[in-house]
Amino acid sequence: MFPVPRFLRLSGTEAYNHTSDKNFLMIGERTNVAGSPRFRKLIKEDKLEEALEVARQQVENGANVIDICFDDGLIDGKFMMAKFLDLIQAEPDIQAVPIMVDSSKWEIIEEGLKHLQGKGIVNSISLKEGEAAFITNARHILNYGAAVVVMAFDEQGQAATYEDKCRICKRAYDILVNEVGFPPQDIIFDPNILTVATGIEEHNNYALDFFNATRWIKDNLPFAKVSGGVSNISFSFRGNNAVREAMHSAFLYHATQAGMDMGIVNAGMLEVYDKIPKHLLTAVEDVLLNKDDGATERLLDLAEEFKGQGAKKLVEDLSWREQPVEKRLEHSLLRGIDKFIDDDTEEALAKYKKPLSVIEGPLMDGMGIVGDLFGAGKMFLPQVVKSARVMKKSVAWLEPLMEAEREEKIVTQTSFLRSENSALSESEARAIATKSFSNGKVIMATVKGDVHDIGKNIVGVVLVCNGFDVVDMGVMVSCDKILDAVEEHNADIIGLSGLITPSLDEMITVAKEAEKRGFGKRNIPILIGGATTSAAHTAIKIAGHYTGPLVHVLDASRSVPVTTALLSEDRQKFIDTNEENHHRAREKFNGGKKKVALSIEQARANKVTIDWEHYNPPIPEFTGTRTIKSQSLRELANYIDWTPFFHTWELRGVWNPETETLKTRNKEGGKVAKELYSEAKELLEKIIIEKRFIASGVYGFFPAKADGDDIYLPDQKVTLHTLRQQNKKSGKPNYALSDYVSPECDHLGGFVVGIHGADEWAAELREQNDIDEALMVQALADRFAEAFAELLHHRARIAWGIERPGQFSQSELIHEKYQGIRPAPGYPSQPDHTEKRILFNLLQAKEKTAVELTESCAMHPGSAVCGLYFSHPDSHYFMIDNLQEDQIKDYSARKELSIEEVEKWLGPWLGY
Amino acid sequence: MTTNLSEELKSALCDRILVLDGAMGTTIRGYELSESDARGERFKNNHEDLLNNGDILSITQPKVIGDIHKRFYEAGSDICETNTFSGTVLAQSEFFVEDPRKTGGTKDPEFFEKKVLNNPKLQDLVHELNIKSVKLAKEQADRVSQEDGRKRYVAGAIGPLTVSLTNVVDPNDTSFRPVTFDQVKQTYRHQIDALLEEDCDILMVETIFDSLNAKAALVAIKESKTKAPVIISAAVGRGGETMISAQKVEALWNTFAHIDPLAVGLNCSLGPDLMEPFLRDLGKAATTHISCYPNAGLPNPLAPTGFDLEPKDMHDYIAAFADAGLLNLAGGCCGNTPEHIAAIAKSVQGKAPRVVPSLATA
Repeated sequence: MFPVPRFLRLSGTEAYNHTSDKNFLMIGERTNVAGSPRFRKLIKEDKLEEALEVARQQVENGANVIDICFDDGLIDGKFMMAKFLDLIQAEPDIQAVPIMVDSSKWEIIEEGLKHLQGKGIVNSISLKEGEAAFITNARHILNYGAAVVVMAFDEQGQAATYEDKCRICKRAYDILVNEVGFPPQDIIFDPNILTVATGIEEHNNYALDFFNATRWIKDNLPFAKVSGGVSNISFSFRGNNAVREAMHSAFLYHATQAGMDMGIVNAGMLEVYDKIPKHLLTAVEDVLLNKDDGATERLLDLAEEFKGQGAKKLVEDLSWREQPVEKRLEHSLLRGIDKFIDDDTEEALAKYKKPLSVIEGPLMDGMGIVGDLFGAGKMFLPQVVKSARVMKKSVAWLEPLMEAEREEKIVTQTSFLRSENSALSESEARAIATKSFSNGKVIMATVKGDVHDIGKNIVGVVLVCNGFDVVDMGVMVSCDKILDAVEEHNADIIGLSGLITPSLDEMITVAKEAEKRGFGKRNIPILIGGATTSAAHTAIKIAGHYTGPLVHVLDASRSVPVTTALLSEDRQKFIDTNEENHHRAREKFNGGKKKVALSIEQARANKVTIDWEHYNPPIPEFTGTRTIKSQSLRELANYIDWTPFFHTWELRGVWNPETETLKTRNKEGGKVAKELYSEAKELLEKIIIEKRFIASGVYGFFPAKADGDDIYLPDQKVTLHTLRQQNKKSGKPNYALSDYVSPECDHLGGFVVGIHGADEWAAELREQNDIDEALMVQALADRFAEAFAELLHHRARIAWGIERPGQFSQSELIHEKYQGIRPAPGYPSQPDHTEKRILFNLLQAKEKTAVELTESCAMHPGSAVCGLYFSHPDSHYFMIDNLQEDQIKDYSARKELSIEEVEKWLGPWLGY
Repeated sequence: MTTNLSEELKSALCDRILVLDGAMGTTIRGYELSESDARGERFKNNHEDLLNNGDILSITQPKVIGDIHKRFYEAGSDICETNTFSGTVLAQSEFFVEDPRKTGGTKDPEFFEKKVLNNPKLQDLVHELNIKSVKLAKEQADRVSQEDGRKRYVAGAIGPLTVSLTNVVDPNDTSFRPVTFDQVKQTYRHQIDALLEEDCDILMVETIFDSLNAKAALVAIKESKTKAPVIISAAVGRGGETMISAQKVEALWNTFAHIDPLAVGLNCSLGPDLMEPFLRDLGKAATTHISCYPNAGLPNPLAPTGFDLEPKDMHDYIAAFADAGLLNLAGGCCGNTPEHIAAIAKSVQGKAPRVVPSLATA
């Protein structure tokens, strides 16, 4: 294998290798307070953003390295070096290049080295203070890992002549390479570029001495480099840029011929060598090469001719400014340019009218692209943060307008609140109104057990830039602390972060507890983020524990679009899409894990096998329907299963009707349940006594026979349709409800029950702001409806002769110990809601019970239940899913509905 | 003697691809320890949970940690890392000093100076933790070496910390950093001295997501004047950049070439497939050995180990890397169990190591 050449290797975030095909390394000099009065002024006036702009321009103009120097009596050089380099770390385009830390003070140089992530260059050290200090400093530099500029300077002073330059450089080289062990390719000599054409005779040979010394160094000190501050050469022509530029170019031309590798140059002050007017070039070269004694004189004469010329401006490429405003905003966000952001924001506002539309429109689109690029590994974190900061500027520009809009809304809302409630004072009403129009507040924390901080911090920064109030709770934050903070700050969003696998479980805990505290019902979104989290895991393992929006955020760049969408006016659309994605992820997970689909023929071949020949289906005591206009509520109360009632208040556990207690792990929950129960009982009494509810129902039986996967009622000439499980199963049949009806002669039952009066009452209570009571009324109505369904089913079973009166205790009834089932359309055994239409027609339910079906097959009143009755002892509930295209085709033909229509209704259960 | 060790390792690396170990965290989770197991008697009243403080287990569950080292060495690891990934005063403080942000404060250099870095109890604990961790690894290295006659080594793991010297935490002052370079250097030096006190063979600055943090560790190593061989390993994102500070791999090599490390490489963050192009970039630039211990794929919280790739998959990827001449050291990071390491060891067996290019002398 060939050896690798000893290139000078430097780095910012990108590598810079001074390979042999690169003839000159340009060191930008504009960020040097000694060389640039403008930069010095900016630093002194603490205009650091503009100072950074100077650094950026140099990189854009092609500087390979930028020199940074704060040596000035009025600047705290050490402090400023640290601060400026830290600022540069937040500027992706600047920190791409290596930095030259420039100071005559060692403490400033060392401070600089502590703030460079890459390999920079120290400018400079020398033998001025003797060998010992030189060696110590060189060793330090080697520890940090930087190249070093060594000035041709020793205890006697600056080397001006060829001989002194060579002697001092040789001495320094030997010490560095042999004693310190410094890599020779990292040694850069500055043999002093001194001003020529000063009128002093000894100065006339300075350029030539430099060229010759350079040649000698390159020939005699292996791998060492030569550099210098080029503008020094032309100092005597200050004010005459044309001449200076010509001198710089000509100097560089000869110096590079001699082997000079790099130089501190103002890229804006360089003429192209070939473009220098011939007579000027001759005069300049005569001076540099010290052709004769009259050279200086000739150049001075000629200089008059060029006065006031030169100083060509470097032209920025601004072609992107021609594009439409959206594209310009996008460009600024992507490239982290904030120069035009105010103008562009203003223009976008004129176009989009509302500040929020600008944010939710073009700005968010731009951030979306940032997210895509970051996800694809084409943008990096510091760039994302920089984009967010540009966004921040735009949002800040819009802020006063939004503030004004907000104020207007607050004033309107305040007077509205006071007109509604005269007891409210002006300030109270205003406080309420202010809260509802404030900026989004986000509580963020790394969950308990996890110490990873940095990713969360980045999300926090990005959100702050987008105008959110962020409360960062830090790391290792317990569930309670997070949720307490949500309450204390009245937060709009909860952000959970974690990097290690165990944090996933802790996130589940937080979701559950947040649900218990009612945050889910209040629709407070939870964001999930961190390296080990995933969209799939969030959907499958976490989302199910929380009824509010719960969103996985892939990375910091996505946090802005997600939070903005969650707090926007049409947030529901985003939430729905999120839910849909979760659903799909769950389906895919369940399906991907075990489910192989059968064709519908194969599934039918594996149907439930019932020996119908040796089975006598029971015959009900009546066929047709029976209507109960107004069922005794007192009787229904006995059928109430209280356990689901407590779920409305997020109290999990099982209700024991004997002891009237909720069996739950949460002690506090048990107490709350008891209180709730006594309140509910009180209200229940009131409802019964005052007949606040009317319970109407209808049920009936019809001769029936299975016809494939349908059930045909010959007397009514009505067909009910069922769906069949299509998963490949081991040992168990592929169920369909029709399997439980004899193909010869059997009966099928059906029912509809509804509780009238509750919806209206609850609405009234809500209007009176009695939300708790409204909730209680509805919860009780739901319980009554379920109880009514139970009671009717009980009667139906007795009427069908499959159960004796009093055969089961109330609790056995609740636990469904009895024979037969009452599956409802739209539930797992038959997920198709449209079967309700057939059932309602069959029972003439609307006429008999005043329960109506809406277009979307929901029942009105809300507290209503319907279903079919099956009597077979084997019949049980099961779950349909993973429906395949062949069954859907067949099913839609049977129902005489278009395939699209059926697919629309059965979307979530489709397996294709 | 340590100089000899460096030569000894270099010579071993000429002969074959050496095998590193797998994931400590993933493997610990296989033992299904409880919070009280992690606390032990000693930390039973600790304010914060300790279950996810893997390093503390060197004190409270030494048998588990020893067993893990044993399993990795027996699976074929030539080098195991000590259980000291977060074995610094700064990283451990997260488990022992309350985060000031919980009560509305900030994490800044003053906080670290007053509450963390000069906390003698924490210093002692961290010192003990490093000493015990090296002992646990050495014990198993010596035992397994004796059993089959092949020498095993112990590398002191020096992790990336929970703070960054480059990352912006305050958008209103992008120059603000929660810690200083000197503080980071100090906390690393404290760890390094402890690791060296117990004669750990190699120092491993790894999972570098921020090159400036790593620089502080490496300056601390330089200043300690140790001759122990050093391995440098970065965690890069999908664009081949250190995850937080966004330094490209070749730039990283340029930054740390002066250390003359025994090896430079990549670990964590990516699976072998996504890591490959950056491993190639690094191999082209670096004039030292190349190490590689990727995650077992990308994190998948639904997979049993939390990662997708099985031992067989890691075997196939690492074998292909070895065939392409990219490797001198190979192992696994997150998601790699002793079974994965056995597969990786098998995959590099008998395969020629990458030839390290030398630097031109003329």
